[in-house]
Amino acid sequence: MATLQENDLKLFVDSIRHYLKVTTRQEPQITSAFLGTGDIDGFEFNGVVTFSGSHNGHVVVSMPGKLVREILLLQHETDLADGNLLDAVGEIANTLAGNARKALGPELQISVPIKLQGAQGIKARVRKHPYVITLRWNHYAALVCVDMERKN
Amino acid sequence: MRLLIVDDSNMIRTRISRVVQSGGLTGVVLAGLAKNGREAVRLARATRPEVVTMDLTMPEMDGIECIGELLRFDPKINILVVSALSDKSTAIQALRLGARGFVAKPFTDEELQMALLDVADNSREL
Repeated sequence: MATLQENDLKLFVDSIRHYLKVTTRQEPQITSAFLGTGDIDGFEFNGVVTFSGSHNGHVVVSMPGKLVREILLLQHETDLADGNLLDAVGEIANTLAGNARKALGPELQISVPIKLQGAQGIKARVRKHPYVITLRWNHYAALVCVDMERKN
Repeated sequence: MRLLIVDDSNMIRTRISRVVQSGGLTGVVLAGLAKNGREAVRLARATRPEVVTMDLTMPEMDGIECIGELLRFDPKINILVVSALSDKSTAIQALRLGARGFVAKPFTDEELQMALLDVADNSREL
């Protein structure tokens, strides 16, 4: 398993920044980016996309309901039920993962998103220290966790 | 002109339909919304759309397979791919299969409108 350096994973910082800027016209503030140790505390709405092909692992987008509702309202969405919030956070994870192919190559395969509700801890499965990006958008905290490696 | 929107995300399906309905795309009528390729093929047979927006990563039948199915059924369908798989080789693959345009996610309303106008113009010329 080839280790991805912290620098390689920074593409996800640009990616979440770009996503929120384009869809809401408001850039997030990246509050930290670090290699996590132990379980990572998440938020209520979680979108997970699994990587295969040239890499394995996954990316998790974890957001509180208030943040996801604001994103949907800015897109004039009127259905703010939990199912729609899960759909939205799954779509954000899908977009970050899909955009990563630009930097990591077309051999990177991505799954359809899995959506999880409930603030559960995010466990590292692939890397000893997954890459964690914390951010604040419109006063709400959220995080992106990238736990992936390149296959040899 | 009838438009079929294909995406596994409700947020994206709703957003594209809003852009179409509020974005001054004269003469474009929503023919249907599909959440995977299989549903898209069934709806396309029933509603005969001239334009389709197509996601690529979807459950049951992905967008690449669906493009092939739709064009086998009706080679005149104009397909605009709207996908997060924004690398060059994916765009080339979709265009080689017969898609008429490609919009990378995330997109602004304006980018989507412009791309839909291009594809719609192309459809009217045919």
